[in-house]
Amino acid sequence: MSASMSHGANAEPNLTPMLDMVFQLVTFFMLVINFKGAAMDLSLKLPVVGSARPVDAKGKEELLVLNIDHEGQLKVYGEPKPDVKGYIAEEARSYVAAAKQKDGNFQTGDSLPAIVVIRADQATPFELLNRVIKTCQDHGFQDFALKAMNRPQ
Amino acid sequence: MRRRRRKAPGDVELNLAAMLDMAFQLLAFFIFTFKPAPVEGQLLLHLPPAQAVTKVAANPNQPGGRSAAPPPAEMNALMLSVLSASSGDVGALKFGTSVLFQGPANKNSLARLDKKLKEALASPTSPFDQVTLQIGPKLRYSELMKIVDVCLKQQLPDGKPLTKISFVELPSGADL
Repeated sequence: MSASMSHGANAEPNLTPMLDMVFQLVTFFMLVINFKGAAMDLSLKLPVVGSARPVDAKGKEELLVLNIDHEGQLKVYGEPKPDVKGYIAEEARSYVAAAKQKDGNFQTGDSLPAIVVIRADQATPFELLNRVIKTCQDHGFQDFALKAMNRPQ
Repeated sequence: MRRRRRKAPGDVELNLAAMLDMAFQLLAFFIFTFKPAPVEGQLLLHLPPAQAVTKVAANPNQPGGRSAAPPPAEMNALMLSVLSASSGDVGALKFGTSVLFQGPANKNSLARLDKKLKEALASPTSPFDQVTLQIGPKLRYSELMKIVDVCLKQQLPDGKPLTKISFVELPSGADL
């Protein structure tokens, strides 16, 4: 750069306030980001039940989120799972292994320390829903959370 | 008037432009991945393992001649049968063996169910500690949730809320 140019009007913007503002925005988005949202299939129309309560895990931190569409197809993290029994059995095995590691007295066949969160479309017939619930029960899951909306969207 | 500080020859100035670039990239990432989740509620249930229903009595009033099995005596479960219409709505609801209402589950019919359940469950002499729902296979999930919602509002004689509910699927001939 020539010396004559550097002696001209030096108009460098002060970037500090802009950086402050951007960091505040970044902080906001970091706080409101919801990684669990990826487990939800937002194309499903949940039923509306006025008394549905917000999520309460009852001390059980493990949630197995199962999305079931109106044709009874199981989707987990957006991926269809045609082999429902195989998938649930695999999940149950991993929960059993984790429970045994945590609690030495845990026996195979005990109620698994996880809540099965069922997100089913409001038009899903019971026979298709019941297949999934029954498979979960057969593999030791006993606590279920049936998802619904508090008010119509 | 503010006096501008004169730069000392050894002053080090941080170049904020690079940091700002990075912050903008982070911001762009968070903006593009931001998807506000809908506010969902849930009904918590303790579903004991399914019990085998062994006694299936023939019922001439039902199409196909089949009906729900009576509850085994040792279960202490109050039996509700929810028959489904072909549209997936509630066709009829049986409280034990008697029909409580026929037709869709509307505000009035659900209020009747609520009243009947209160009478059966909250009484100090009530033998019931759980509810077994026998459900028609075509019943839509939204209709099922209406019935489950009424059940979960009930209290047992000890004041604890009812959370034990079992689902049993009725044979397809039991639908209306």
